[in-house]
Amino acid sequence: MRRELDLSLIVAMAMMIAFGVTMVYSAAGDSDVWRNQALFALMSLVVAVAIVYVPDKLFYDLAYPLYVLGLLSLLAVLVWGTGTPARWLSIGSARLQPSEFAKIATIMAIARFLGDQSVERVSGPRAVGLAVLLTALPMSLVARQPDLGTAVSFGAVLVPMLYWAGMRPLHVFFLAAPLLSVVFSFEPLWQDQAPIVFALFIIVSSVIIQLQLARLWVTLTMLGVNLSAGLVTTYLWANFLRGYQKARIMTFLDPESDPLGWGWNIIQSKIAIGSGGPTGKGFLEGTQTNYEFLPAAHTDFIFSVIGEELGFVGAVFVLSLFLFMIWRSLYIGTIANNRFASLVAVGMASMLTFHVFVNVGMTIGVMPVTGLPLPFLSYGGSSLLTNCIALGLLLHIYAHRHEY
Amino acid sequence: MDPEVLEDWARKLRGLMVLAGLLFAILLLRLFHLQITTADDYAKESEDNRIARRRLKAPRGLILDRDGEVLARNRAAYSIQLTRGSPESDAEAIAALEAATGVTVNLGKRGRERIVRLKRDVDFPHTVAIVEERLRDDWPLRVAIEPQRLYPEGDVVAHLIGYMGEKQDDLTSSLRRPYVAGDYVGQTGLEHVYEDSLRGWDGVNYVEVDVRERVIDEHPFPDRERPPRTGRDLRLTVDLDIQRAATRAMPDSLAGSVVALDARTGAVLALVSHPSFDPNVFVSYGSQAERQRLIQDPAKPMLNRAIQGGYPPGSTLKMIGAVAALEIGITDTLSTFPACAGSLQVGDVVFRCFNREGHGELNLLEAMEMSCNIYFNHLAQILGIEAWHGYGALFGFGSPTQIDLDPSELSGILPDRQYHKEREGWVTGHLMNLVIGQGYMLVTPLQMARYVAALGNGGYLVTPHLHGEAPDPVRIEGVSEATLDIVRRSMYRVINGEHGTGRRARIAGIELAGKSGTAQGPRPDDDAWFVAFAPYEDPEIAVAVVIEGGGGGGSNAAPVARAVIKAYLEDQARRRAMAADTGARPGDS
Repeated sequence: MRRELDLSLIVAMAMMIAFGVTMVYSAAGDSDVWRNQALFALMSLVVAVAIVYVPDKLFYDLAYPLYVLGLLSLLAVLVWGTGTPARWLSIGSARLQPSEFAKIATIMAIARFLGDQSVERVSGPRAVGLAVLLTALPMSLVARQPDLGTAVSFGAVLVPMLYWAGMRPLHVFFLAAPLLSVVFSFEPLWQDQAPIVFALFIIVSSVIIQLQLARLWVTLTMLGVNLSAGLVTTYLWANFLRGYQKARIMTFLDPESDPLGWGWNIIQSKIAIGSGGPTGKGFLEGTQTNYEFLPAAHTDFIFSVIGEELGFVGAVFVLSLFLFMIWRSLYIGTIANNRFASLVAVGMASMLTFHVFVNVGMTIGVMPVTGLPLPFLSYGGSSLLTNCIALGLLLHIYAHRHEY
Repeated sequence: MDPEVLEDWARKLRGLMVLAGLLFAILLLRLFHLQITTADDYAKESEDNRIARRRLKAPRGLILDRDGEVLARNRAAYSIQLTRGSPESDAEAIAALEAATGVTVNLGKRGRERIVRLKRDVDFPHTVAIVEERLRDDWPLRVAIEPQRLYPEGDVVAHLIGYMGEKQDDLTSSLRRPYVAGDYVGQTGLEHVYEDSLRGWDGVNYVEVDVRERVIDEHPFPDRERPPRTGRDLRLTVDLDIQRAATRAMPDSLAGSVVALDARTGAVLALVSHPSFDPNVFVSYGSQAERQRLIQDPAKPMLNRAIQGGYPPGSTLKMIGAVAALEIGITDTLSTFPACAGSLQVGDVVFRCFNREGHGELNLLEAMEMSCNIYFNHLAQILGIEAWHGYGALFGFGSPTQIDLDPSELSGILPDRQYHKEREGWVTGHLMNLVIGQGYMLVTPLQMARYVAALGNGGYLVTPHLHGEAPDPVRIEGVSEATLDIVRRSMYRVINGEHGTGRRARIAGIELAGKSGTAQGPRPDDDAWFVAFAPYEDPEIAVAVVIEGGGGGGSNAAPVARAVIKAYLEDQARRRAMAADTGARPGDS
């Protein structure tokens, strides 16, 4: 059977991967690192294309079994994991990062669950509760490693999928409001303005809810929930955190307070990107990268290498390519032949968006330092393979869009 | 799928794309800010990262004696530096250093500096070699070399050199040549007075380094580099041989001072203060305890007694009274006062001569030779405090000599009528004490050397100096040649007379003149004094010696003065021989 391939997505993926291997070469130099990455890339591309030819029904059938497998592998990491912190499983000489694959399995499981629900039931508490549970299980296992960044990415995928499945935006907002309360009442973030910012958020959110629903008890309940979330945050910050814990949080907000310690990575990354200027220092010419001022240059901070050597032009190019891939993924979601496939596409798009935003945000100091890799560009086989599988699934959905 | 569903999805696609677009807009705005708006700031920070500006500490100028003997030079001192990384990697590197070398390292508080000095002035064969060979590639440690002061003569020249101290505060960048914390700066003595010319100009070079300070390019900016300029050498008037002889001649167990001047110019030939200290202790990083001990030592080895010791001069001051009396016409070489019977009662105060049986009836020359107090007591009764004070001031007492050694030089005390009135009131008895160098009178050994030089050189008050052109000697006004001649003759008799108190200063083959003193100070034992100049005709050297608690000046201080003059004469003989030698064989050099 002849399949129609989404050429634009394939070209974008190939460009991105080739670009990634090139930048890994620049960041890690003449070692085996870039060869490994190139090898991973070829393997991953083969896997991605192979996925296109898997029978359509198979993924739907495999969604739950794969999810369970993912959970088991995450449990295995907690027991037999290697590395510090332990995030990998060693099989022979190969090292796998199960949390990467668990992301895809979880997206598929959520997609199947939500796809099976009628649009009316998606907004109901039972369906939402179960979807949250499906997400929370792998999320908590990953958080135990600990890998907070990856853990949060599970939650970040769930919300757009719920929205896509039919949950009303207002209900999505209910789900997210307590989290926003925590952020808006977090004193170190707003300093003296914290009470004003928090009060403003409470008023605005309550007014919106009241205008939308015009049901006083809902508004008051949300008000109560938001207020308690904010007050608990303030109380915990003031009374329960130890000095050094506060210091670490403060360092994220003000890296200059510990320039040689916790603040080092982010400061050096900003210097690398900023010093790149409009057009960069030139390929292989990055001093921050070559002289090792920039830590983890070929993994977590690969975007800083791009920013330093290729400048604003290079950074915009990379972000544009990502934005295209995100749009294309969502677009494939709108032409899918069933709810499951459509939700998988949206989940993949969300995962990509979240990773790009958090990783790039980290390198330029708008997000905290987490271990989240930049899709397709950061060195690492597990991440590359996961993202290629994700794109493979999108290609699959595109290819099968006319089938019933 | 349902067209309705498809339409719903298309709508949601727009919604989610707006959200994604917003997130990417945040990233783009931030990138624009970093890479376009503030790119220059970050470019500079990136430059600061990879370009290490290294100060090349200028070696200080040498301090040399008048023959070029080295009194202060520089040696290479090695310090071990750490380029800081994470606290863990710092601790790892320090642990490795400690394990390899056995030294203990204390990493101070975590500051903002990326490079910190872990251990200063470590020994080369042991520590440095180990660090260089075994640790360099694995640990962020580096060995830095900087010039460090070394005083080969140690305590012999300590009070000339002074001592140096570490700058505690950081950059004083307002200066044209800023100091950096840890720099050694002259605190006293010549190191202090000539700090500006000795320290030179620090150089600078730039090295391109990686994050661990491993050098990538030694000279990224050759045209911005500046070599250090060594400080100017300081050639002294001091002669190390005389300085050594003076040090050796002082009794080990007693404190005191010796000053020898060129009687014609005021050039300091030797300046000794005993007990002394090793100035190397103050430029050695590990000698904190020893420095503390020196500063707290009750024997006060840090005190430069030659210029900061105030002593009653005793009989060595009698020449002031003699000059005054001769000038005013109270006495001459033949006149006598009532015979010395060992004591003199004035009112209810009894003045005693050191010879309890009495010297009998003496003229000025005899009174000086035998150092009779009673003669000068009689003289003081006629002289008057104003006249005596005036001549004392003319010979430089009561004011600093302006030597280029220490701004904290003592002025001493030359009391006048007012001085006494402010205390217990004025009676003539005070002058009877002052004229024999007692009472409130206080002098420094350097003042005494200048005074005796002026007596010897025909009445010229010289400015003692250690370096540079001799300031012009000033002829003391109101003191005639005739007066000076009589005083010189009396001083000649002190050494050469049959009863002279300074007979022990005699040197075969040369005539000298001097005066002994035995002063009652605050100590239980008298201070021994001797001042002298030589040769008697046309004097070249003037010497002052004081030994605290040394007893009789003639017996104990005179031999020290003799040793110094002898060393001077031997040195002169050597010079003449060398001059004759090179003169005999011109072109042979």
